[in-house]
Amino acid sequence: MTEEPYRWVEAIANRREYIETQLASGSPIAAVSFRDGILFVTRGRARQKLFEIYDRIAMGGIGHPGDIERLRMAAIELASTEGFTRSAADVSLRRLAFYSLSPVLKAAFEQVYGAPYLARMLFAEIGDTPANDLFLRIEFDGAIATNGGLLGDARREFGVVSGTAASTELMETFLAREHNPAATLQQAFTTASNAWIVGSMALSESGTRELPDAEAMAAYRGEHAASNQVEAALLERGSQTAIRYRTLAEHETRSLSAS
Amino acid sequence: MELPIAALDSAFSGGVDDFPALLRKRGLLAPVASVPNASANAAGVQQTQATTILAFKFAGGVLVAGDRRATAGNTVVYDRADKVLEIDRHSIMAIAGVPATAWEMARVLEHSFQFFRRTQLQEMSVDGKVRALSKLLRDNFGFVMQGVGIVVPIFATFDTSGEGGARLYFYDAMGAQFEVTDYAATGSGSPAVRGILYYENHWGKKPLADLKEDDAVTVALRALDTAAEADTATGGVDRNAKIFPVIKIVSRDGINTLPDKQIAALFKRGVA
Repeated sequence: MTEEPYRWVEAIANRREYIETQLASGSPIAAVSFRDGILFVTRGRARQKLFEIYDRIAMGGIGHPGDIERLRMAAIELASTEGFTRSAADVSLRRLAFYSLSPVLKAAFEQVYGAPYLARMLFAEIGDTPANDLFLRIEFDGAIATNGGLLGDARREFGVVSGTAASTELMETFLAREHNPAATLQQAFTTASNAWIVGSMALSESGTRELPDAEAMAAYRGEHAASNQVEAALLERGSQTAIRYRTLAEHETRSLSAS
Repeated sequence: MELPIAALDSAFSGGVDDFPALLRKRGLLAPVASVPNASANAAGVQQTQATTILAFKFAGGVLVAGDRRATAGNTVVYDRADKVLEIDRHSIMAIAGVPATAWEMARVLEHSFQFFRRTQLQEMSVDGKVRALSKLLRDNFGFVMQGVGIVVPIFATFDTSGEGGARLYFYDAMGAQFEVTDYAATGSGSPAVRGILYYENHWGKKPLADLKEDDAVTVALRALDTAAEADTATGGVDRNAKIFPVIKIVSRDGINTLPDKQIAALFKRGVA
């Protein structure tokens, strides 16, 4: 098959379509920079979607649990080995993503006789200020979307990942409008939760290109708040310890949701 | 465990090999020399040694202290060595023996605990941590037999799960772990330290377990000062250069490294 370029292209296109369908139901994840750190928020059904990768790096993933697990392990092994042989300061999300994960994902995706990774991941690395926070979304084919800031790009202090491109775009539009990097934890939590609602609504009403109005969002929240558990994690900026990752306990997310 | 990256491309290093390892892979650097089957002493190598550490439980958790001296034979190599090392938020490893081996062990241990937590999504149990250090010591025993790299550590931790509380262990060079209820001391100055801690625990004003922080620090300083009096390898307190022992406290809240200022004040009041 691979001797015939056209059939290879066709096989890749089919594969892309298949993976997109598999990922389409993935519950969105929003991560936002705020004054004291980076906050990841999602609502889940059963399994954990937010993970600690290294001292200053966290990850959220949607897709097949087995594939997410393999990529998560690879990321932790790479970061830990680097941190051990050199130092924690030498572990960089940019290198991890561009030079380690992306080539692996691309190779798996394009080897049409092998299984691709059914996963889409959002990584974040905490900096000294929100302007130095880094967000990277890595696709199943190894493509990487960053939060910009290079070559005069407008910089965004957030990152999102969702089941479909339309949902992802709407969440980004919403956050570009609503999010303020100087926000408090409470404000950041509210914005990120709302971004989840925007993304989730876009998944259920496919074809929407418009941001929902406040009423529709409130109604949607009312319907889904009870059935879906909030999962939230922090990378803390001012923390005195090297390890910045912390999962928010249930009582914390409950009190943040209440206000 | 199979690393997916290796499975996909055997030549792909993922950028994690250090540069010497990469050079070796390409045959551009001589391999790591194996340890000859002879004693280091025969080769005339004087090993650097770190000495005298102590730990005991008191009202505020576990206090771990170490003097600052590192020696090689009769020579003082270093007077600001740190032998009390933080492994994670609630664990301290204090070392007597060869620092080259001990610091590497501490580094491996620190990274192992974090690696476990990150991959397994739960904290390693205290028993697991204690065992991990034991295994490192046993792996090192071949070197000890050849006369290099002996390490005799103390491990102090606070078990935050359930009713665990403060836990304190010392090890021998082969990796046997001994849990203690009151206090532990290892290193060349330890006989004097054990004498003092035993005395304080039985006939002092209060047993060690009931001491408040200031009194506990005073006892630790007195013990190290006494050890230094008769043992040249123990630094004790350098009164001229104002070099004080390292003292750390493990409690439910984590690890607190006492600032030199506080130690200096307590030294002045209760020891000098």
